[in-house]
Amino acid sequence: MASYNDYILMAEGVCKSYGRGAARVEVLHELDLTVRKGEFLAIMGPSGCGKSTLMHILGLISTPDDGFVTIGSETVTNDNSLRTYLRRTMIGLVFQRFNLISVLNAQDNIDMSLRVRGIRPDQRTAELLESLGVSHVAKRKPSEMSIGEQQRVAVARALAHRPAVLLADEPTGSLDSASGHALMEILKRTNRDDGQTIVMITHSAELARFADRTVHMQDGVLIDHQ
Amino acid sequence: MAFLPLANLTHHKLASVLNAFGIAIGICMLLTLSGLARGTLFEISDRAQAADADLIVCPRGWGDSVTTRSGVGLWESYKKLINEEHSDIVERIVPVFVWPIKLAGQDHRATGVAPEMWHTLTGGRKLSEGGRLFDPDNKFARWLEKELLTESDDDGPAEDLDLSKAPPGGFELVIDERLAAAGKFKVGQQVVSANHTWTIVGTVPAGVITRVFMPRRTAQYLFGDSIQRCTMMFVKLKPGCDVGPAAAAIKKTTDQDVMPLTAYKSMLTSKFELMFGYIDTVNGVALAIAFLFIMVTLYTMVLQRNRDIAILKSSGASNFFIMRQVMTEAGLLTLCGTILGIAMAFGAGQLIAHIKPLYTVEITPKWVLIAFGAATSGAVLSSIYPAWRASRVDMSQVLAQD
Repeated sequence: MASYNDYILMAEGVCKSYGRGAARVEVLHELDLTVRKGEFLAIMGPSGCGKSTLMHILGLISTPDDGFVTIGSETVTNDNSLRTYLRRTMIGLVFQRFNLISVLNAQDNIDMSLRVRGIRPDQRTAELLESLGVSHVAKRKPSEMSIGEQQRVAVARALAHRPAVLLADEPTGSLDSASGHALMEILKRTNRDDGQTIVMITHSAELARFADRTVHMQDGVLIDHQ
Repeated sequence: MAFLPLANLTHHKLASVLNAFGIAIGICMLLTLSGLARGTLFEISDRAQAADADLIVCPRGWGDSVTTRSGVGLWESYKKLINEEHSDIVERIVPVFVWPIKLAGQDHRATGVAPEMWHTLTGGRKLSEGGRLFDPDNKFARWLEKELLTESDDDGPAEDLDLSKAPPGGFELVIDERLAAAGKFKVGQQVVSANHTWTIVGTVPAGVITRVFMPRRTAQYLFGDSIQRCTMMFVKLKPGCDVGPAAAAIKKTTDQDVMPLTAYKSMLTSKFELMFGYIDTVNGVALAIAFLFIMVTLYTMVLQRNRDIAILKSSGASNFFIMRQVMTEAGLLTLCGTILGIAMAFGAGQLIAHIKPLYTVEITPKWVLIAFGAATSGAVLSSIYPAWRASRVDMSQVLAQD
């Protein structure tokens, strides 16, 4: 049985709803989730089941109405400075639409995310771009890259500060099948070689097979653990 | 950290150039208008100081208006009175008759002065061109005196005087070099002004008390209808005399207004204050509009960059970091606009000096600093609200639209 210290990410009794009165929709309902250090977890579920909402709560982008999230040894509260600190140090985010800053080239996008975190950019940026096979686009802006290249750069950006947890929200959602598989290989390699903890949201069972463990969501709750 | 702001500015080139240009226009206006107003007006007051005199005697009650008055003011007999009563302190007295005259399309205060006293008003400056001063032998003046003055020192019937019989020299002018340049006047050239034809007989370096000099008797006769009355008198005191007590003593003797030459300058400059206030207000409004423009643009940019801001926040950027990005962007825009504006102001100064040689545009380091200060304050003020809005971007809402 795993001890408390083996978990890098925990969500307990997390609830989240949107709207008020009759328009109120409960998206997450007393959701519990644990992620071990070094685990590659896939969260699957149909559209609208609350996957992205869960990802935003785990990524400290939004706050739960109830319940709590623990990252590492820190239980997350509504204290903004703590949340900012944890976002800065513990979490790396990969979005479905990459969300690269359009005015910066690939290298500057990664360097910028380091500067935001108070880290002086060094060789790691170039190494990441190299290891993800996109060193040739280092000086290109997002509009000058292919979709697949943009997503790899986004992954490099999310990994640059060596986060405790990489949260990926449908990272292959905008990619074609070949690019999607290539990206999954990269994530798997990162998890395997570097011990990077990854939580990935996907609606593809095929892609979920890259993960060590898959959980299914429906109507705001986890319905099984594989 | 200007990394992202610089990238934003270089990416949105047209918007950046337009914003910087907007600031540049405001800064250029500030420097050019204040430089033009202060330069031109202080040049006038500085010229008043150039006279080699200590006191001015003018009619009682003229007070501050002495700086703008012309025509008949004092009886010349006061010169004799002062000389008699204060020979111990007075070195010389120079009566002048001031009259407005139009040359090179602009009104000037022409000073009528006796040729032998001219050097007092020029502060030692000598003719730079032309071999001689107007009416150098005073022939015209002596002829006028003979025709007009009786034993009782009463003026004769001026209207009957036939000026064609007068010796030459009466209708001669000496002008300063800036006026000569502005009107492209040459020595020996004849000009028509005040219904008479005048010959320019010499030029004097700029900086003398007025730009136009003519024989005193001519001015008195033509414009004052009397050769016994002048507009005011300049008094040169003997070395070592205190100006204040001397002014008080002469005032007591003549019962006229007597003021130090330094007071004359401060009277002139105090008259400018209203104009400076007006110009500074116009400048302030122009700058405010420029920075309002910046604020609206920055605000629009913030709205357009909600996603970028949300991404930065999701990476752990603090509110302060986000605000700093927006304010740095405003600062960079302002810096470029200010430098451009200063360069434009110097260019405008050169252009004005070329088109209007009589205007002085004086852009001093003090005003450049003021421009920088105004620009910096404007940048900070105009970017506070957009920066604050940027820091309040709700990343969960923006990123939920993914």
